Amino acid sequence: MSCGPESRRGRGETRAASTNWGGIILQDARTHPGSALSLSLSARDARAALLVAVAYYLGAKIGFAFTFQPHPISTLWPPNSLLLAALLLTPARSWWLLLLAAFPAHLAAELQSGVPVAMVLGWFVSNSSEALIGAACIRVLVAGPLRFDSFRDVSVFLIFGTFLAPLLSSFLDAALVILIGWGQGSYWQLVGLRFFSNVLAALILVPVILTWAATGFAGIRYAPLRRYVESGLLFLGLLTASILIFDWQAVDHSPRPALLYAPLPFLLWAAVRLGPVGTSASLLLMAVIVLWGTTHGQGPFLASSTEENARSVQLFLIVVSVPLLLLAAAVQERRKVKEALQVSEEHSAKAFRSSPDPMAIIRRSDSSIIDVNDRWESLFGYSRAQAVGRTTAELKVYADPKDRQTYHDLAAAQGYVRDFEVDLRDQPGRVHQAVVAAEIVEVGGVSCFIETIRDVSEQKRAEREAREQQKQITHLTRVAMLGELSGALAHELNQPLTAILSNAQAAQHYLEKGRIDPKELGEILGDIVAQDRRAGEVIHRLRALFKKGERQFQMLDANELVREVLELAHSDLITRNIEVVTQPSPQLPAILGDRVELQQVLLNLIVNACEAMSADDPKEHGLTIRTESTADDGVQLSVIDRGHGIPADTQEKLFEPFFTTKPQGLGLGLSISRSIIAAHRGRLWGTNNPDRGATFHIVLPVHAGGPS
Amino acid sequence: MFVVDDDPAVLKALTRLLQSQAYGVQAFSSPQDFLERHDPATPGCLVLDVTLPVISGLELQQKLAASGAERAIVFITGQGDIPTSVRAMKAGAVDFITKPFGDEQLFAAIRAAIEKDRAMRQARAERCSIERRLATLTSREREVLERVVAGQLNKVIAADLGTVEKTIKVHRGRVMQKMGAVSLAELVRIADRAGIKPAAEHSASG
Repeated sequence: MSCGPESRRGRGETRAASTNWGGIILQDARTHPGSALSLSLSARDARAALLVAVAYYLGAKIGFAFTFQPHPISTLWPPNSLLLAALLLTPARSWWLLLLAAFPAHLAAELQSGVPVAMVLGWFVSNSSEALIGAACIRVLVAGPLRFDSFRDVSVFLIFGTFLAPLLSSFLDAALVILIGWGQGSYWQLVGLRFFSNVLAALILVPVILTWAATGFAGIRYAPLRRYVESGLLFLGLLTASILIFDWQAVDHSPRPALLYAPLPFLLWAAVRLGPVGTSASLLLMAVIVLWGTTHGQGPFLASSTEENARSVQLFLIVVSVPLLLLAAAVQERRKVKEALQVSEEHSAKAFRSSPDPMAIIRRSDSSIIDVNDRWESLFGYSRAQAVGRTTAELKVYADPKDRQTYHDLAAAQGYVRDFEVDLRDQPGRVHQAVVAAEIVEVGGVSCFIETIRDVSEQKRAEREAREQQKQITHLTRVAMLGELSGALAHELNQPLTAILSNAQAAQHYLEKGRIDPKELGEILGDIVAQDRRAGEVIHRLRALFKKGERQFQMLDANELVREVLELAHSDLITRNIEVVTQPSPQLPAILGDRVELQQVLLNLIVNACEAMSADDPKEHGLTIRTESTADDGVQLSVIDRGHGIPADTQEKLFEPFFTTKPQGLGLGLSISRSIIAAHRGRLWGTNNPDRGATFHIVLPVHAGGPS
Repeated sequence: MFVVDDDPAVLKALTRLLQSQAYGVQAFSSPQDFLERHDPATPGCLVLDVTLPVISGLELQQKLAASGAERAIVFITGQGDIPTSVRAMKAGAVDFITKPFGDEQLFAAIRAAIEKDRAMRQARAERCSIERRLATLTSREREVLERVVAGQLNKVIAADLGTVEKTIKVHRGRVMQKMGAVSLAELVRIADRAGIKPAAEHSASG
């Protein structure tokens, strides 16, 4: 019993030292062993070895005290169990040292008792093998230190440590005893004797040592006062009951089986209330009292022979210990689960209360509010007291009551709700745009939503503003570009006006001279009408470009788009002395887009291309505009120039706002163009041609997969 | 009268307007077409659009001047910018009018252009006949002409050329006859037209 805390002194000292620094140091010392600790490792091993030797020696002495002659085997043989406990407390690599230390202790104890040398050596082999078998099996099957706090671990201990290991080693032990001829009794008798003796020792000693080593004195030190009082009362009760039953029956020797149960309430009390530590200590206490009484001729286990007495004591203690250890482990396990559950519930409640987003718990059956957090209160303007117990319909939470049903349907269909966009109304009647997420949970057996609300009104407003600004800038850049083209655009209007005026005046002159052919006059009037229409179209087109309208998607023919833009740019191209070649693909699927915006992009690319070529040799001037279908259901428009190309270091910057290479440029054209194309779910990019100039490509998706 | 404009509607309307004034009009849709088909000898002015693809109006003006087929030009334009108009006028254009224009503006310019074309042609014809006559002079006669035009007396000329006054008189009579001049004043005018420089005063005579 003294072996447990002693053998752990090394770690115990670390803990004692660490407590001076505060509670958390305990963990600190484990995670950061430090060089001092690793240097003193061998010293610690040596100390452990010394302790094992002393404990083994004393254990053997106690064992001899409980030996009932004529058999050489003790009723309670502690050394093997002490060795097992020591092995379980040390890493496997140090096991050899402990066995080595136990050997001289074994020799000293056994030789003193006059046992033959061969028998002494044989017993050491069987004792060591028992401890090794038990320790190895438990080490393999139990993850981490054995603490007797889980039903499974205790079961492993019982099966391998207290049953299998003693059984196997007892076969060896009894065989050696017979072989050497020491003592009396048949082989099976010896096996039985030794087996029960070792089972009892393992059951009584190993749990005490291991649980106390794990808990240490720290566990006692930090226990609350009432726990001291409770433990004190329990041990006092157990002590009294045990002494009365097992050591105080000298008056009447007739056994009263019912009295054997007298300590049981105290043991159960220990198992339920004090955990494995208290249970194992209680069992040890009772075992000591029972054995003391029996060896001193007291108690209920006094039958005809000492052998039978010993067997009765062993069976009694084994039968009591096994279920109690299991019970204590089960109770401890349940307590841990409960604690973990409590912690997690506490965390959830705290997370709910302190969430930065408004949260509510709502009963699914009638949409009544079960709980809300502070943010929910401040969002909706209802206090918790006002909200709890009322339904979302009563509070008119949903601006559109139909949304509530949609929400419930969604939740029913998929078991949760995510990113549900909804307008919510607060107490003063303000509407908030919100995104709601919800999970279905059971609260007290009732199906509820736990929902999180995010008020996105601000975000939506910012998005609207950004869109509005984008629209303004798009319009401004378009107007600025048309301003640059104003001369050419005026020319486009002047042509039909000139034709109209000249035709009309020609007709006037003919009329004045009184010689006009009605057919000729009809032709003149026809031309005037056609030219007037032409001028009207130019104005119509210009007005569409100048207007600041909402984006309107319609089905468009890319070739027609190119034609329209080239008509607008016609004079400009002639003035700049640039010849345009169009390469339209005859079979082009329709695209879905805003006519004005796409014209703006094309016009921008054409003007850019012209400006890229203006400084160059006019003979090299040339602009090609090509349309084609792409493999992935798109329509590609390419504007190919023969200018100076895109400088290598600007290829990436070209589409950034306010980046420009022109002295009078705003630097918005391409950046706006790209955002327009992006809004059409298309792509716009520029590359240099292999020989000369640059090409800008627009790819737009065809109508079938058009934007919504 | 010749009209060049790439816009068919404008070309047709202008043709019609000019025809209403009983002008004979030849219409061309491009400068290339004009260069290929027009007859430089035919008198008449050119109504020319400035903004034309490939060969611009100003380039056509330069080409005509370079090939000696110069002709009075009225420029018409849809985008009248000052640098272009200045260049056109410096190169000898009659007028530079901006579309759209009224008929009177066009007719006035055309009348001026026709007048200028006639004057240009007359001057060119006169210069040709004078040059033809000048070519008939011998080198001695040419020397005498240059000195007579410079106002030198016969004896001074004779001394200069190392001959007698009488011989100079004969040469002078021949020059007058060949050049078709009846008086000294007329001879001086003709020589001026032909660009003949009067001979410098001879140092030996002083």
